[in-house]
Amino acid sequence: MSRHRVVSHERIEGVFWVTQPDGTKKLATINLALGRSVYGEKILQFKGREYRLWDPYRSKLAAAIHRGLDSVPLWRGEKVLYLGAASGTTASHISDIIGLEGRIYCVEFSQRVMRELMGHVAAYRPNIIPILADARKPEDYRMTVERVDLIYCDIAQPEQAKILADNSDIFLKDGGWIMLAIKASSIDATKAPSEIFRREIATLENRGFLGLRQISLEPYDKAHLMVVAQYRRRSREE
Amino acid sequence: MEELSIVDSIAGILAVDKGNRVIDKAVFPKDPVKIAEKIARIEAGSLVEEAEQLIQRLRKHCKRFIFESEAVAANARKTLKVKVKVSKPSEAGEYVRSNLGDIAAAIGFVEKPGDVFSVMREVSTILTKLRVKAAASKRDQIVIQMINSIDELDKIMNLLAGRMREWYGLHFPEMSRLIDSHDTYAKLVTELGLRENFNLEALERLGIAGEKARRLVEVAGSSLGGMLNEGDMAALQSLSHLYMEASRLRCHFVDRMETLMEEVSPNLKAVTGATLGARLIALAGGLERLSRFPASTVQVLGAEKALFRSLKTGTRPPKHGIIFQHHLIHKAPRWQRGKISRVLAAKAAIAARIDAFTGSYIGEKLKADLEKRISEIGEKYKTPPKRPQRFKGSGRGKGGKS
Ligand SMILES: C[S@@+](CC[C@H](N)C(=O)[O-])C[C@H]1O[C@@H](n2cnc3c(N)ncnc32)[C@H](O)[C@@H]1O
Repeated sequence: MSRHRVVSHERIEGVFWVTQPDGTKKLATINLALGRSVYGEKILQFKGREYRLWDPYRSKLAAAIHRGLDSVPLWRGEKVLYLGAASGTTASHISDIIGLEGRIYCVEFSQRVMRELMGHVAAYRPNIIPILADARKPEDYRMTVERVDLIYCDIAQPEQAKILADNSDIFLKDGGWIMLAIKASSIDATKAPSEIFRREIATLENRGFLGLRQISLEPYDKAHLMVVAQYRRRSREE
Repeated sequence: MEELSIVDSIAGILAVDKGNRVIDKAVFPKDPVKIAEKIARIEAGSLVEEAEQLIQRLRKHCKRFIFESEAVAANARKTLKVKVKVSKPSEAGEYVRSNLGDIAAAIGFVEKPGDVFSVMREVSTILTKLRVKAAASKRDQIVIQMINSIDELDKIMNLLAGRMREWYGLHFPEMSRLIDSHDTYAKLVTELGLRENFNLEALERLGIAGEKARRLVEVAGSSLGGMLNEGDMAALQSLSHLYMEASRLRCHFVDRMETLMEEVSPNLKAVTGATLGARLIALAGGLERLSRFPASTVQVLGAEKALFRSLKTGTRPPKHGIIFQHHLIHKAPRWQRGKISRVLAAKAAIAARIDAFTGSYIGEKLKADLEKRISEIGEKYKTPPKRPQRFKGSGRGKGGKS
């Protein structure tokens, strides 16, 4: 009956392709908070399920999937630490994907956007744990975060890779994954993007991350790259 | 035992040995508010009672304690005189974070391992709300400084504008009547100076065209004002320039006030607009104080002078304070204004309470409610009250009630 058609994403469980009446294809996730849209995205019903469209221009994770990232280390029941959750655009879709058995710890240091995250998103999603803290000081939230399977980092800060690695040493399990959105211009506006990417990636390699994959987010995001890698915990004696 | 790790967790403080065995513990009371308070103190570097008790119990058996926080370790060394070491993260800490559910159940903090995570979510939410609130409640003092600056800039600008018009009036008296806006007047004086420089192109460059520009040029040509020498003109132009700078600063502050109020008091902003909301906060002395006022007080905030006058002289007490500046009141017919200001004050009071205490956002709903109530008032009291005798006499009594 619906004017839309929905099919599962070929590789990523919990993510869907919606074919709209005009033939265009959009990503979507199953809405965990029925009836609630988070950032103005469209909600639609298909065969008794409610889906939320996932806008690649608003969410770098959606952009990465559009650009061919086809094995996202995200699954049902997973525990995720999200650094720089902002008002919850991307976090809400991760919350949809991991479902009620999963948990997503959302670290954000701006109190203004944290208000929004709490009032509009976390209040309706029991798997979101809001944490107002500075990602540069992971020991501050060591008591309210458990061991996680994935750390997603999008904080637009210099030394993002180092911050991510510090958090990984405390919270990421051996063999867990990271996703890092690197925005070249905000790290150092005077250097060419390629060099900045190289430096951040070198940091990751030095800190025990393997199998680095890089996906450019153009045209959805200018000068942005998504890096996916797996973590090997180094032995304590090193 | 050589060393023990002291691991703080949501369930309590644990002592863990080298083989990752929890050998002793001090469990937190299962009250999320109390836990939030303890965690906030641990994060700030204090040694909570549970940690102190645990270490006192174990110090006989243990040479050195390992902590994950430098500040807590330093505190333990100072107050309990024990040997400490810091490891960020510690192996025991990692072990606890990886097995949190099971450990919490084993030490009797929760029944089922999974339950610890709903406690954790509750505690995080409380902590985050407290912090959001603390951050906002400090910034309300900046709102007060900024709104007072805006008001003072207004006064300064009025003084400067009066002086500028009088001074320039010696040279071109006819211009004052033609140009109402102080900003435009100051721009013309600063940019053009002597009236002989008034021509159509120059005026158009400054954004004045058409009939107005033609009139100005014409009047400039036939002005009865006296001459000003260059030095006198330059002095006057410094003054008009100062006016323009003040005006620019005011604009900038008004702009910033939008963002600041969005952070500090978004619900109040939705109801009253940024500047009026800021004035209410300033009159109350802070957001928290404003949030404690009943709606009837909010309604007359800013009318204190008139209130004193009425107490002294026995004239009618003021119906409204600063809230009367709201555009919805200006748009409404006179006889509805008292009613509207009461509804507005009630909504503003609710909004301030939400901003001060919960940090959630329901501004759009408050605004929609307010507009609905106002249109109901508009419907119900379409025509002015027809009781002419009301307006006779001193104007005291029930006539003023709204
Ligand atoms: C580009 S936005 C994130 C957008 C979000 N990831 C999404 O897709 O919905 C970056 C966010 O990181 C936050 N941030 C920056 N530095 C941070 C830090 N040191 N700790 C925590 N949050 C930080 C900023 O306040 C901002 O909200």
